[in-house]
Amino acid sequence: MRPSRFFRLLRRESRGSRGRLVFFAACLAVGVAAVVAVATLSAGLDRGIRTEARQLLAADLRIEGHSQIPQAVEDLLAAIPGVERTDVREMASVVAAVRAGGEPGRSHLVELKAVGGRYPYYGTLRLEPDRPLDRLLDPEGAVVGPELLARLGLKTGDEVRIGAATFRVRGTVLSEPDRLNVSFTLGPRVLLSMKGLERSGLEAFGSRIERRVLLKLPDGRPPAEIDALATRLRAAVPANRRFEVETFRDARPELREGIRRAASFLNLVALLSLLVGGIGVAQTVRAWIAGRLDAIAVLKCLGMRPREVLALYLGQTVLLGLAGSLCGAMLGVAIALAVPLALRDTLPSFALSTFEPLAAARGIGLGVSVAVVFSLPPLVGLRRVPPSRVLRRDADALSGGRWVGVLVAAVVLLGIFLTAWVQSGRAVLGAGFAAGIVAAAGALALAAAGLSRAVGHLPRRFARVWIRHGLSAVARPGAGTIGAIVALGLGVLVVLGLWLVQQGLGERLRADLPSASPTAFLIDIKPDQWLGVSKLLAEQGATRIESVPVVTARLTAVDGRPVERIAAAGSDDRRHRWVLTREQRLTYLEKLPPGNVVVEGKLWSDPTSPEISIERDFARDLGVSIGSTLTFDVQGVPLRLRVTSLRTVEWKTFGINFFLIVEPGVLERAPQMRVATARLPAGREQAIQDRLAAAFPNVMLLRIREILEKIGAILDRIGLGIRLLGGFTVAAGIAILAGAISAGSARRGREVALLKTLGMTRRGVVLVFSVEYALIGLVAGAIGATGGGVLAWAVLTRGMDTPWSFHPAPYAVALAATVALSVLAGVAASAGALSRRPIDVLRME
Amino acid sequence: MLTILDRIDLAVDPGEFVAILGPSGSGKSTLLGLMAGLDRPTEGQVLVEGAPIQDLSEDALALLRRKAIGFVFQSFQLLENLTARENILLPLELLDDPEAERRTDALLGEVGLAARGHHYPAQLSGGEQQRVALARAFAPRPRILLADEPTGNLDTATGAVILDLLSRLRRESGTTLVLVTHDPSVAALADRSVHLRDGRVDREETAAGAGRR
Repeated sequence: MRPSRFFRLLRRESRGSRGRLVFFAACLAVGVAAVVAVATLSAGLDRGIRTEARQLLAADLRIEGHSQIPQAVEDLLAAIPGVERTDVREMASVVAAVRAGGEPGRSHLVELKAVGGRYPYYGTLRLEPDRPLDRLLDPEGAVVGPELLARLGLKTGDEVRIGAATFRVRGTVLSEPDRLNVSFTLGPRVLLSMKGLERSGLEAFGSRIERRVLLKLPDGRPPAEIDALATRLRAAVPANRRFEVETFRDARPELREGIRRAASFLNLVALLSLLVGGIGVAQTVRAWIAGRLDAIAVLKCLGMRPREVLALYLGQTVLLGLAGSLCGAMLGVAIALAVPLALRDTLPSFALSTFEPLAAARGIGLGVSVAVVFSLPPLVGLRRVPPSRVLRRDADALSGGRWVGVLVAAVVLLGIFLTAWVQSGRAVLGAGFAAGIVAAAGALALAAAGLSRAVGHLPRRFARVWIRHGLSAVARPGAGTIGAIVALGLGVLVVLGLWLVQQGLGERLRADLPSASPTAFLIDIKPDQWLGVSKLLAEQGATRIESVPVVTARLTAVDGRPVERIAAAGSDDRRHRWVLTREQRLTYLEKLPPGNVVVEGKLWSDPTSPEISIERDFARDLGVSIGSTLTFDVQGVPLRLRVTSLRTVEWKTFGINFFLIVEPGVLERAPQMRVATARLPAGREQAIQDRLAAAFPNVMLLRIREILEKIGAILDRIGLGIRLLGGFTVAAGIAILAGAISAGSARRGREVALLKTLGMTRRGVVLVFSVEYALIGLVAGAIGATGGGVLAWAVLTRGMDTPWSFHPAPYAVALAATVALSVLAGVAASAGALSRRPIDVLRME
Repeated sequence: MLTILDRIDLAVDPGEFVAILGPSGSGKSTLLGLMAGLDRPTEGQVLVEGAPIQDLSEDALALLRRKAIGFVFQSFQLLENLTARENILLPLELLDDPEAERRTDALLGEVGLAARGHHYPAQLSGGEQQRVALARAFAPRPRILLADEPTGNLDTATGAVILDLLSRLRRESGTTLVLVTHDPSVAALADRSVHLRDGRVDREETAAGAGRR
């Protein structure tokens, strides 16, 4: 047959199935919309970051680390003419309102940022009043986040205490180009000048100062020059020091990597709704073909070969798939364009979606693939339609090779795996996802089959007539209920499962801290302050006050091999490099803290040399074992320690724990600070922080509760997005249910006509249908909710090590909602059958 | 296994018009299905133009039907989603006949439906539908036409019109016709009548009326 003729046939054949198109398209469109929306949003974010890379870095090039800038880097920078430089220091600290009437002023944890030089080189720093930062920041001035003023009850022009000095608030900072308003922060921003930071005296204490150098090359320099400079700077950083050199051309790789990871997860959630849509496609195609058997027999009788018939219907499927995917892609693009507009105030400036042709193409491609793959099982059945059906309706189906079924099943599995691979970008993840969804769908199908069979065996003698009919409708063979139950059940499983995981994590974060746990950390305590601090804590009713000394040091050699050399050799292994080059925190203790268990060697067992005890995983990352020696540079003094024990640590207790513990008698005279933990009486946390801030301004109090709440809030925001996406799966499930119902509409019409003829009122018929769809919803909801519970339980207890608790409410809500939606969709889709006069239907027989 | 046809030995000459008669369940339609390669015999041979077809693949059978065999059915079997004209066009398109459009229009005229080609089957009367079916069956100029109770669903007057048309088209094209019916008056038009009973040939009659056993 000539292609032109084939396409004409294709077009004509579609005439009989326009009604189907709606459900076919709806099933696919929902999933494709989810896929396209996620792909468009993530592509938009990536593009936004690349476009605004200079602003997001606030410079051409940035050097960042936690210690003094290495001399080699300083020398290199000094030798390059024309490069502008701004130094930035960031640290957490406590800021307090000035004492009023003998009472300590209110205090708050903040993120302090001291700027020496022009800032920013690119992007906008929004200040109030709108003046250049260096005009506002004299050594006595501070610019703070507006929320800090609100919390401390201050206004611009008032004084605050930062460290040992008092500053006047010159203005507020509304946004910084290189600080994202969506990421986790310890507290509001406080901007100081470098001189101001010196005045505060905090630099001497701050154990966690982040040092940054922002560089700007003269305008018009080629990007290659910036790359070359970055390469030279990276080379100048000694291998045993940790400094990141990043140019605007790298475009915030850590940020984009984060988005990529999130997108890969969300892609899979979106794919799920597409695959659920695939089940609907399979059902629609099956019902469609069931209605076309006579026509297919005639076509074969007129001499159309089986493969031509298959091509005709496959062509239809592709066209329908294309139409549904196009609708879905448009919907997805619309969603992706609307989201950043709707969330303009909470999303960073670069989150602006544009139409991404690749994202739309990806959605359409996946949509058509899913349509074809899921249509194959019913389509291959076309081969078995006997042409002799034109003579006898009940002609036997032609025998078909069993291998065809196996082949088709393999193609479907492969299709799921490939789409999951495409969506997650990782073959292993794709395989795991495919295995999971096949297992879940299989379990749902089995349960659905079992339950509908069980319903068939229920005694019905005692029930009212519509209940009896409703029950038998579910149990009737070939009712298409299994597909609908699987699809709807998968939707419920995903949405409830994700919700339960999020609730479980949130519950954990909100739960009262175990009574044995501390509720606050105190850091940066000078040894001579400890007596006063502990006294103050005790007076305020704090309990379980514990403190240990901390000595910061740098690892210089392992078993005599300099760290530079080890780090350089294993530089491709980031984790390895991190443990070697980080700033090490040592403590010294006679006895191990609770939760520490020596699993190898013996604590303080070597009288001949100073000893160190290492956490087991950290030792593995360092590549050391019992008997190894570690050499540290303790603020200029070399110290050689022998590993004599390895420990495991129970980190979850919020106690003070260390990777590295040194034998007592070695570090006592080294420069050191103390960290402490305490359990603060409920409701007194703010008062204690205020008093501490007044008496010991350098001491930083971190409230665990507050930090957990911040994490919880972020989790909530992420969870909402994921649940919305999961909602697409439910929508696909509903579309499938409606599709399954309308697929049986001819039979349904006959049934209604018969029931009416036999004297049942329309209300009675609606009741019959309601019982039927309530049962479908009940079964799907029950299986889906059970599956969701199992999923959440597995993720929480196996994956996240979180205790599991069962609350019946969410399950009940999920079940009730599924039943209600199912009944609504069912009755709505049967409306046509209900409104017809019985005589019209019976006459058609 | 149920035996539907048993020891049937029947030859139809080119250009001959054979009527097959018999009560319900005597195997008439099954015999027609075997001749068309729609069914396969469990035993024995079916020869079409001298060549056995019972072992041909579904593809080969489809091509055979496409080129050589036309059908008319009791229930018309028009494709509901195609117009009358498109129904007639379909077998010609399958053959890639370059004259398809012209021949379709000519046939529509011959069956007296030139003005109704754009109607869908549901918009046509039973007699009109069967006329479309006749046009479709003759469109690819088949050498063999198989008809399964073509007047069974029609009233007597309409049935007579259809039979006239069928006879005329057959005469003009010289097509071999095998027609299944239970109506002796229809069978009377045939060169030969074959009576089936319980799956066997009960008796044969030629147009002259002399019984042949």
